[in-house]
Amino acid sequence: MKVNEWCMYCGECAGVCPRSLIEVRESCLIFNENECKDCRICIQVCPVQALSKEE
Amino acid sequence: MSIETDILVIGAGPAGSSAAKHAALNGAKVLMIDKKSEIGTPKRCAEGVSKEGLKTLGIEPSSRWIAKELTGVKFISPNGTSVWLNEERVKLPEAGYILERKIFDKHMAMNAARAGVEIMVKTIATGLKRSEEGIIVSAECMDQSFDIHTKIVIAADGPESRVGRWAGLKTTLKPKDMESCAQFEMARVEMDDPNSIEFYFGSVAPGGYAWIFPKGDDIANVGLGIITTKTDKTAYEHLLEFVSNCPSTQNAQPVELNIGGDPVGGMLKKLVTDNLVIVGDAASQVSPLTGGGIISAMKGGVFAGEVTAAAIEEGNYSQKRLQEYQDKCEVEMVKTFKKELKVKNYLLNLSDEELDSIADAFKNTEFERISTKEIIKVLVKVSPKALLKLGKLF
Repeated sequence: MKVNEWCMYCGECAGVCPRSLIEVRESCLIFNENECKDCRICIQVCPVQALSKEE
Repeated sequence: MSIETDILVIGAGPAGSSAAKHAALNGAKVLMIDKKSEIGTPKRCAEGVSKEGLKTLGIEPSSRWIAKELTGVKFISPNGTSVWLNEERVKLPEAGYILERKIFDKHMAMNAARAGVEIMVKTIATGLKRSEEGIIVSAECMDQSFDIHTKIVIAADGPESRVGRWAGLKTTLKPKDMESCAQFEMARVEMDDPNSIEFYFGSVAPGGYAWIFPKGDDIANVGLGIITTKTDKTAYEHLLEFVSNCPSTQNAQPVELNIGGDPVGGMLKKLVTDNLVIVGDAASQVSPLTGGGIISAMKGGVFAGEVTAAAIEEGNYSQKRLQEYQDKCEVEMVKTFKKELKVKNYLLNLSDEELDSIADAFKNTEFERISTKEIIKVLVKVSPKALLKLGKLF
């Protein structure tokens, strides 16, 4: 997952991740990429489109 | 390094600080941690509270954290029809204040400290495991990693809550139950009445509404919440459009951008497990209709603090003992939230034209008093469709 520079760490992505794979820190997001099933709900809900999938 | 406590509160928002304070006041040893370096920042909401709500919680209003006292409310339909209700026309039992959350949240945490709560900032919980005595939470503060041994955890870690999930509670939200919000705090906002809050409905904010909440002088929170399944645009893109089109913000300039999720699907079904309770946004203790959650979060916090402190005193931290907290929350919130959810689902299915016609009917209606309940009662009167869908609710 690519976290763009303008991410504001609001945590909305973590709140909807069905596998609880996103940890929100004060100024960084930590993704557990190994368990990700690519549902992309986190990308969908981000209020500022800060997340994108690295193809 | 390891720390021992009776109760660990994770998250120092209004829910966490209320829980911590009331647990300490009732005799428990309480530690509250927050991942942020400054409690209360960044703000993530429109900062509105009702006077009645603060009064119920026994919180004396202070000029240090009240930005504006409100005397009216204005609803604006998609075609610009406005329904303006103020204290001159009707009683406003739900009139309220716009807070300065950055100060208010700190004030609440300071009061918790004064009640005996130990506070650690810039401290994040990174995991949770059960032990014979209770729960061990692994945490990090700056370059230190350590364990916190506690009998009970109060998870107040916001809509992104992971702590409840670690303990086996279902706190994951579906996108349809999470309002995606974006807001500017702006200067040079030109409002017809700087003492009234304004709500804008319709396609301006699919699945939610836009707002202008005055903060004194020409300053206001200008924001909106959307349901992302109902639009292809982000909340931020909708906000830019709103600011560009709204007459009140033609000359306004932003001084702050806030974003975040608002859990509007109604309170979670299960808030309690052995040695752990969840409160506030983490428990979706938010009005599904208005998205407001400061007062309900603090009420949840008070209940959590009181019940967990009693459980500590009794030496019983089981789910069965802590269930009293959930029971109290259900009595206080769930019945109202269920009604509000039905009203919200009804409103979400209205077209812009239907919203305009309701606004027209509202313009000619006399209100005796203004409250969410009263407005819904009037809605049922003026709209045959609403009567069919909502008639039995109120």
